[in-house]
Amino acid sequence: MALEISGVTKRFGGREAVSSVTFTAEVGEFVVLLGPSGCGKTTLLRMVAGLEFPDAGAIRLAGTEITQREARDRDIAMVFQSYALYPHMTIAANIGYPLKVRKRPADEIAREVEDVAGRLGIKSLLPNLPRQLSGGERQRVALARAIVRRPRAFLMDEPLSNLDARLRVEMRAELKHLQHVLGIVTLYVTHDQAEAMTLAHRIAVMRDGKLQQFDTPANVYHRPANTFVAGFVGSPSMNFIDEGDVTLGVRPEDVELSTTEQSEWSSARVWVTEEMGNETIVVVAAGENHITARASAESKLDFDTPVWFRFREGKVHRFDRKSGARI
Amino acid sequence: MKTILKYAAACVALLIAIGPVYWLITIALKHEIDQFAYPPAWFSFRVTFEHFKAAFGGGSFAVYFGNSVILAAGSTLAALLIGVPAAYALARFEWPWRDRVSDWILSTRMLPPIVTIVPLFLMLREVHLINSLPGLALVYTGFNLPFVVWMMRGFFNEIPKEIEEAALLDGETRMGALVRIVLPLVRPGLAATAVFCLIVAWNEFLFALILTQTESAMTLPVGIAARVTQYEIKWGAMSAAGVVAMLPVLIFATAVQKHLVRGLSLGAVKG
Repeated sequence: MALEISGVTKRFGGREAVSSVTFTAEVGEFVVLLGPSGCGKTTLLRMVAGLEFPDAGAIRLAGTEITQREARDRDIAMVFQSYALYPHMTIAANIGYPLKVRKRPADEIAREVEDVAGRLGIKSLLPNLPRQLSGGERQRVALARAIVRRPRAFLMDEPLSNLDARLRVEMRAELKHLQHVLGIVTLYVTHDQAEAMTLAHRIAVMRDGKLQQFDTPANVYHRPANTFVAGFVGSPSMNFIDEGDVTLGVRPEDVELSTTEQSEWSSARVWVTEEMGNETIVVVAAGENHITARASAESKLDFDTPVWFRFREGKVHRFDRKSGARI
Repeated sequence: MKTILKYAAACVALLIAIGPVYWLITIALKHEIDQFAYPPAWFSFRVTFEHFKAAFGGGSFAVYFGNSVILAAGSTLAALLIGVPAAYALARFEWPWRDRVSDWILSTRMLPPIVTIVPLFLMLREVHLINSLPGLALVYTGFNLPFVVWMMRGFFNEIPKEIEEAALLDGETRMGALVRIVLPLVRPGLAATAVFCLIVAWNEFLFALILTQTESAMTLPVGIAARVTQYEIKWGAMSAAGVVAMLPVLIFATAVQKHLVRGLSLGAVKG
């Protein structure tokens, strides 16, 4: 079932939180809404959920318009950042709740809950209350509650951001696998570009309520639509150098460094180095500009060491300096 | 040493709190002749239930008691039925003038009750509700309403919005989410609020005194006070009625004590 968003606009007061956003998430597709806080991605998600209603535009799910439908009539499940479990109900009751609301027979609910809990490895937690669970466990319960009724679409609002770093990476992989197995169209909100890159079939990058680019992770990374996308995706960030009417963009891995003088390379001095273990991030100062480069872990460069650098051929992005758009 | 002092202080506080109550109970149980013996008979006296019999056996106290029960329960229920949805709307929905409306509701509690008594009297007389339980119930409901709204608004504010939104997405209606998710979560607050309303209505004296004149609509506090007559003061019957008047509130507060403490502190932290 495809999820179609066309020209969706939402205003709060006089401000446009979401401005005419259009894209389509195809059947079974995992789409990540990526952007800094306040870019409108959560508002957009809430409009798809039916918790907010757009001022203009339309939302269609499997060809049916649902723009003004109540949340309960959309058959969409959502996982909240805070998990939003029902504190006064057991885990089993939490997971079974969407089925109970749909008046399914008790034995069927019990069976489905067992099944989903088994799949997520939380079967032993079923008799507990939410407050007895760890953050990671609560996360799984929230997920179980979302998938138990096999909704037509999944919405996730920064579901991993309350987990510690290790658990986050672990859950990320699990989430991706789960979504693949279920094959349900998924809209996932995050400000973490690593999450977006790893999870998404396609990423919708947003800024100030406007869609900047809607494309595969590879294209967002290798062919960013503008300087904002280019700077937001990738870590460390892309280097930007202004040259006349054009802004040049070069990713740190496309900057070659040498400690010996090379003809036609630019000279610079080491400004700072950051050892990451598997690699070293080197920031060099070349005149006005600071250029970040990725170097091998072995490169030992002290402050102020003279170095020479050049940009890898064919790896330089060109943007219009005024509009920031890709040329 | 510190501990001893603490316990001593607690004992003094307890004595001050319990003393009058104990005195009341003994008076209610003593023969008239023992009531004012000097030095007082604190612990050893002949027990009698004649005052209880006098007060409630066919006497008008039974009527007062019934009136008080109906009034307290009825007005509390009404205040909750109106106040809880109002509080929910004030806590959850965005609408123009929302904050002003809640301030205005609160401001009605800033008035000393006595200043409203004349207009209330005149209005109730106009609609023939003087001297009637519905009239008093109306006044008590109005009196408790702001309290219910403000208490419950605080409790609703403490329930994260997402929990309700999750329920909406799980297929609940607004009403269903309120009844099955939100209300169970604010139960401590609901209990605390209800007990306060009950106590206020149960103990209320001023309005009941002025707005009722006949026995049929009189409440316990007024009825008890009426036993101070021109010729004598019926200490025994008054005390017996006082003891009985204490019981419902005591029982109710004890039953919900766990909720009461949690409810009060819950509201105090935020909202």
